[in-house]
Amino acid sequence: MSDNLKPKNEFPDQQGGNKQKKSRLTLAKQKKPKPPKKKWLTNEGKWGLFMISPYLIQFIVFIAFTLIASLYFSFSRYDMLNAPQWIGLDNYDKLINDPVFWKSLWNTIYFTVLFVPTQTILALILATALNQSLKGLKLYRMAHFIPVISSWTVVLYVADAIFNPRFGLANDLLLKLGMEPQQWLNDENLVIPVLVAVAVWKGIGYMMIIFLAGLQNVPEDLYEAADIEGAGVLQKFRHVTVPLISGTTFLVLVLSTITTFQAFEQIYVMTGNSGDITAAGGPNNASMVLMLYLFQQGFAFLKMGYASAIAWVLFLILFAITLVQVKLQNKWVHYEK
Amino acid sequence: MKNPNRKRKIISYLVITFSALIMLTPFVAAALNSLKSYTQYTAIPVEWIPNPFKWENYIEVWRMTDFAQYGWNSLVVTVLSVLGALFSCSMVAYAFARLEFPFKNSLFVMVLGTLMIPPVVMIIPQFIIFKNMGFLDTLVPLWILEWLAQPFGVFLMRQAFLSIPKSYEEAAKLDGCSPFQTYWRIFLPMCKPQLATLTIFTFMTKWNEIMAPVIYLSSEEKFTLPIGVLSMSGAWFGKEQYLVAAALMTLIPILIVFLFTEKFFVRGASSSGLK
Repeated sequence: MSDNLKPKNEFPDQQGGNKQKKSRLTLAKQKKPKPPKKKWLTNEGKWGLFMISPYLIQFIVFIAFTLIASLYFSFSRYDMLNAPQWIGLDNYDKLINDPVFWKSLWNTIYFTVLFVPTQTILALILATALNQSLKGLKLYRMAHFIPVISSWTVVLYVADAIFNPRFGLANDLLLKLGMEPQQWLNDENLVIPVLVAVAVWKGIGYMMIIFLAGLQNVPEDLYEAADIEGAGVLQKFRHVTVPLISGTTFLVLVLSTITTFQAFEQIYVMTGNSGDITAAGGPNNASMVLMLYLFQQGFAFLKMGYASAIAWVLFLILFAITLVQVKLQNKWVHYEK
Repeated sequence: MKNPNRKRKIISYLVITFSALIMLTPFVAAALNSLKSYTQYTAIPVEWIPNPFKWENYIEVWRMTDFAQYGWNSLVVTVLSVLGALFSCSMVAYAFARLEFPFKNSLFVMVLGTLMIPPVVMIIPQFIIFKNMGFLDTLVPLWILEWLAQPFGVFLMRQAFLSIPKSYEEAAKLDGCSPFQTYWRIFLPMCKPQLATLTIFTFMTKWNEIMAPVIYLSSEEKFTLPIGVLSMSGAWFGKEQYLVAAALMTLIPILIVFLFTEKFFVRGASSSGLK
């Protein structure tokens, strides 16, 4: 009996004097029927709803409402000065017959197809090299992170030191090797490969860390077993590392496809002229991507309806790609049980 | 046994050293460019080492432009965003992790779903909302959304709150704390590593952001650093060495933040691939 009372005595203010006489059992009985059944909203429920209210506001105003509005705009003519005017499928119809739209779709796909595998493979190789007890590991990691934490404006001026057609390092090197200098970002055929190279350079440190986290979950004894069987560095990479981190690889692929498809900042900064959005995407639309086209149409030419239609097409394509990637994962992603 | 390991290490060193050089060379080249005179900057054949080193280029940037104003705007946006993210994400995450309320599970599924909607489809209506609220050409649209619990931060903080034993909550309750007080006084101080991660990620995103400033800002005195420096280049033909200096200066604050919090950055980055 006295043992039962002990814990309650630690909180005399809480329980009140006469309650101390009751056993724990009766206390529990008294409290139980109160919370869930009678009142729909308990005290805790009220606090819960109150505390998630920032998210609720965001969801109602900035997500649910904007999604509906955006869909409605895509079926309307809307210049922001006059009320949106319903025009049915006209925007989509115009889109299908718009050569710049097709070009930017093609460029977007081209960019993604070049970028995603290059970055993934290189990041995986780097992560494998870093996944050992090397000296100066932190410094190596840091070197790869400096591009990651730089804004695209910084990257623009830093990349200019390399790819400036007149006095960049790249052309200097080509000249010394007796080759023709290039126009790089001003060359219709080179602009996307150069942009991809810069994007890989900027993003690889981040991907490398994601892979490193995946690699650290690979049990060391598998490598030891491979050593005993006499496997070389490359064989171990191919037969142990690659299959065991395919889950991480899959995630990296899906996430980077989604982000790359929506790439805007890099192309806006690196191909625009001092922030003029109508000048970006050159030369001759060779680097026009869907997001940039959407921005030009919407914010430079105030064709908000048309821009919304582009946004929804982009969304649907992304959705389809993600679906295909998820379906394909059974074929190559190895999940450990 | 020793030999293959050694070989592996040598190859690894070669690979990462080579790659680190590729990462840093452009920065070194740009830094050298920022210390040249214009004649030397554009000289052909290329002269790599500045002669003389014109350190005054960096001072000129401050003297000749609104650099200080851009920096102040960037700071306001970044600090308000970080505060907003820390407060709103942790509070919402606490409720999802620790409290019972109606529709909790379906609401959390909604948070998950939000992550999958590409921001593209929401940009235009959001712009119109902010326009109707009279926030065009102000800094408000650049930070206000961070006060409304962005999903990434909610996830991060929820994981942290879930890992704390239940007894803390009960003890707080017996002491007469309301759920908000329990969150604010007891749980929040226990999640410093996650708060640090969220701080760095928000700081980095906002300090470097370009898309939102491009959409919302039109007058120059409101510009943040990335678009401020970008917009200089039009009028600055023939002074490119200053532009490089300006761009490199915008990197310094984020570099400092990064150097002090590198381990949280790595942790945050690696957790984003594990989800």
